[in-house]
Amino acid sequence: MKAVMIIFNQANTERVEYMLDKLNIRGFSWFSNVKGRGSETGEPRMGSHTWPEMNEAVITIVNDDQVDVILDKVKKLDEINFEVGVRAFVWDIVRSL
Amino acid sequence: MSIYKSAVNKPITTFMVFTAIVVMGIYSLVQIPVDLYPEMDPPFISVMTTYVGANAGDIEANVTKQLEDALNSVDKMKEITSTSSDNLSIVNLEFEWGTNLDEATNDIRDVVDRIIDFLPDGVERPTIFKFNTSMMPIVFYAVTAKESYPGLEKLLDEKIINPLNRIEGIGSIGMMGAPRRVVYVDADPRQLDAYNLTIEQIGNLIAAENMNMPSGNVKMGSLDYQLRVQGEFTGSSVIENIVVGNMAGKPVYIRDVATVRDSIKDLSLDEKINGEQGLRMFVMKQSGANTMKVAREVRKNVDELQKQLPPDVKINLIMDTSDFIKGSINNLSETLMWAFIFVGLVVLFFLGRWRATFIIILTIPISLIVAFLYLYITGNSINVISLTSLSIAIGMVVDDAIVVLENITRHVERGATPREASIYATNEVWLAVIITTMVVVAVFFPLTLVGGMTGVIFNQLGWIVTITIVTSTLAAISLTPMLSSKMLRLRPKKQNPGRFSYANTIERALNYTDNFYEKTLRWVLRHKTFTMITSMGVFVGSMFLFNFIGTDFMPESDESSVTVSIELQTGLRVEETLKTTRYVERVFREKFPEIQIMSASSGSDDEGSMFSLFTTTGSNMINFMMRLNAVDERAKSVWDIADEMRAEIGKLPEVVNFTVSTSNQGMGGTSNTVDVEIFGYDFDVTNALAEEVRQRLVSVPGAIDVQVSRKKDKPELQFSLDREKLAIHGLTTAQVSTYIRNRVSGLITSRYKEEGEEYDIRIRFQEEFRNSITDLEEITIVTPTGSRIKLKELGEVKEYWSPPNIEHKRRERIVTVTAKPDKVALGVLATNIQTAISDLDIPQGVMLNVGGAYEEQQESFMDLGLLMILSIILVFIVMASQFESFAMPFVIMFSIPFAFTGVALALFITGTTLSLVAALGAVLLIGIVVKNGIVLVDFTNLMRDRGYELYEAIAISGKSRLRPVLMTAATTILGMLPLALSTGEGSEIWRPMGITVIGGLVFSTIVTMVVVPVMYGILARHGERNKRSKLEKQFHFMD
Repeated sequence: MKAVMIIFNQANTERVEYMLDKLNIRGFSWFSNVKGRGSETGEPRMGSHTWPEMNEAVITIVNDDQVDVILDKVKKLDEINFEVGVRAFVWDIVRSL
Repeated sequence: MSIYKSAVNKPITTFMVFTAIVVMGIYSLVQIPVDLYPEMDPPFISVMTTYVGANAGDIEANVTKQLEDALNSVDKMKEITSTSSDNLSIVNLEFEWGTNLDEATNDIRDVVDRIIDFLPDGVERPTIFKFNTSMMPIVFYAVTAKESYPGLEKLLDEKIINPLNRIEGIGSIGMMGAPRRVVYVDADPRQLDAYNLTIEQIGNLIAAENMNMPSGNVKMGSLDYQLRVQGEFTGSSVIENIVVGNMAGKPVYIRDVATVRDSIKDLSLDEKINGEQGLRMFVMKQSGANTMKVAREVRKNVDELQKQLPPDVKINLIMDTSDFIKGSINNLSETLMWAFIFVGLVVLFFLGRWRATFIIILTIPISLIVAFLYLYITGNSINVISLTSLSIAIGMVVDDAIVVLENITRHVERGATPREASIYATNEVWLAVIITTMVVVAVFFPLTLVGGMTGVIFNQLGWIVTITIVTSTLAAISLTPMLSSKMLRLRPKKQNPGRFSYANTIERALNYTDNFYEKTLRWVLRHKTFTMITSMGVFVGSMFLFNFIGTDFMPESDESSVTVSIELQTGLRVEETLKTTRYVERVFREKFPEIQIMSASSGSDDEGSMFSLFTTTGSNMINFMMRLNAVDERAKSVWDIADEMRAEIGKLPEVVNFTVSTSNQGMGGTSNTVDVEIFGYDFDVTNALAEEVRQRLVSVPGAIDVQVSRKKDKPELQFSLDREKLAIHGLTTAQVSTYIRNRVSGLITSRYKEEGEEYDIRIRFQEEFRNSITDLEEITIVTPTGSRIKLKELGEVKEYWSPPNIEHKRRERIVTVTAKPDKVALGVLATNIQTAISDLDIPQGVMLNVGGAYEEQQESFMDLGLLMILSIILVFIVMASQFESFAMPFVIMFSIPFAFTGVALALFITGTTLSLVAALGAVLLIGIVVKNGIVLVDFTNLMRDRGYELYEAIAISGKSRLRPVLMTAATTILGMLPLALSTGEGSEIWRPMGITVIGGLVFSTIVTMVVVPVMYGILARHGERNKRSKLEKQFHFMD
């Protein structure tokens, strides 16, 4: 079991929803209006007057074999336009209830 | 859930909501009446009192003075003026605008009730008269006839007026100069004396004979009969054969002592239309009725009804006020259409995309239609003001939609789906959009608070622009995202755009402009002092231009109609006046082929119709009403023609005074005059001073139609009775005066009836026995003892001169000398007049004051000045709160003076005067200009917050905001362009506004793009927005 967290520009919301659906990922937690900025190039998304855009984040716990599929799709999504921005992070699940 | 999210998620609901608005708007549009100006209830109430037999002086002392003193305490009254003339006292009360006139009328009624007992006996109950603009006639007809002339009144009454009265919205229809049928019994006083008869006897007899009397019931057999005595005359010839007495056993018939004429009334008013005998018919509408509709119906019906008239009766239209309204409204509608097209082209030019253009353009009809909804709900009309307001708004309503759409497009081009882009992109800008709207509202909303007559215009403009702009903002954050989500597509960049494609032509040009501007900006930022000094120089220089620009109140417009009134020597009889009328008619016919219809009336109608309130009549007065060809069918303007007419009339030696006027619609009847008011009690002193002022005014350059309000003393025959002699004969003044009146003016005791109409039977002396002083002295009076004496035994006839009218203002006697401006601004004329009369030797107890429309103009400009200050304060408040800074609003407001530079230049180049309308345009500019500045400064702040260095931020944001600024400015400018260029009917009224706004905007946009960044550079400090360094100063815990 791995946790995949996808953080993305709000403008990609529908695409991410579609992706999860398509990959038959049923369980996830959704964080709306997430602020943040990229470590290197990513523009700040602060929802402020200066940086009006906002991010969304979704965390999903999936079987190990699905991780690559997800990351592959996220990469494709990112390739549409790098400026919009989408990132995915994976970490291990040690235990779950 | 935010409005834009709901709108995008529920496209059908959104669509339906806006459809509902549009449907209701269109419904309102069909229902709203069309008129020239918004309905104005001028706050004037008149109190008219008749006191028969009193001359002006008596009326003044016994009636007017009493009323004035009592009425002076009425609430909210602004000014009290009065005119006392023979038999009649008119007290005019002017109230503050917006006063409830019903309440005021009640107050006045109370006052009148209170003092009526203190008025002399014989004074009739004062009538309270409320003036209303809808009482002005809307259509004038000239009716000419040859054979049918004598019966014209009855003919028209039956065939035209009665059917017309059925039209909805008709107030009343009047006739002027209609020949009235009268049965005259002209007695020969010598015969009367010979047969021992009097006029009164004949009168009583005729009254006694001419009657039908029900005399009870008779039951006969099985029936109940009504009994009637039938004595009414069956024909006017019956009168001749009435027996009035006996002489030596033989009956004396009326024909023995008098001649009976069944004829039309003796001449007192002569109406000639195009030189033919005729009369004038005028139609007044009900208050609140649609002028256009009523006039259209009337004209259609008259055309139809005319067929039933005898062939020699011709009905011609002299004036239809709805023509001008229709012309103006059509003209403005056309203007609006052009503005719509221009705005569409500008949007297409800058965006280069059809779908985007469509989405933006769609906000125009929606916002404008809401204005109609407003007009309908508040009971207003579509008029010049409301349409001009729409013209102003049309360029501004697209601004918000442009901002929203631009951001959505940016997101779509970055690959977002149109649906999401619409939601999130709108989220990013909606607040900014609302704030810029608030700035515009801050300028227009205060307009709704202005009072007075100018307020009537301003309020509507303020409301309409505010409402349309607010609607456009609402549409921009709901309808625009919704449509964008449905219609926008990600357009792949063309690999090889065609040679003449958008990308290779316009876009390239725009890019070039962007780059050029960026370079300019970087240069001026390096030369700040030079730039500022140059621009200050330009501003100060332009302010000197205002010295060459005249001021005016309301621009006059060419309404294709001229009215001329000529006054000849007072007391002249109509027959003499007519000779001049015929001569002037002939001269006008020859010299002015532009005249389509000319109606001339000479003399006065003693019936005193409603119309007499608007024109002065008298046996020595001639009134001309002329209609000219349409504006585009003649070379000369109505003012040129009026000037030439003035010259022609000026040549006639018998003319004492005359006016030629070219407008009949004027705003609520305000005249464009400068009045010199002379207050003072003594007639001789004030008359002399008025004459002196008049002579000086005539020589003032630019003053025409100089008029003295106090008419020349008129000759009067007074019969002064010797009371002792009266007493000897047992007579009283009242008896004698009745005797004289019956013999000279005539006695009416009965009316002759024919076909349901009644005609006066007037008994009096034959004319040759009552037209000299000797004749009057020879009048026989029967004393109570039955003896007959001549009038000359009771007193003597003397000739006197007396003032025909005495005017009061603020309860003091006043004479006004008025002058109209000719090719010179009213303000200038007022100054000239003031200097011309400054060295006058003013006698003690006399006060001189220069007022008139000039005074009102000053007040209105003052109002506008206050308005401008209020607007600037409000705009400052909005901006200071938006930027959370005191300095930023100053940076932006620095562009306002340059708007006025543009105004000065535009007015100077086009030779337009600074009228109220132009000044209003200048006030509006504040909002539009500031809006440009906000866009620029806001983006610069943003860039600095994002970490750019000050000058770099200014240059980058300048480059990136150039297009939106140019675009919003271009839509507004091109939206106003048709207004500024229109030449048709009524365009004189709104053209100045178009010129001011365009001039101000063109200039200020250019300057804004240079001066605002420089000011920003001066007022902002490097690193002031660097949050990091600020925080470093605050927090030391990491050190």
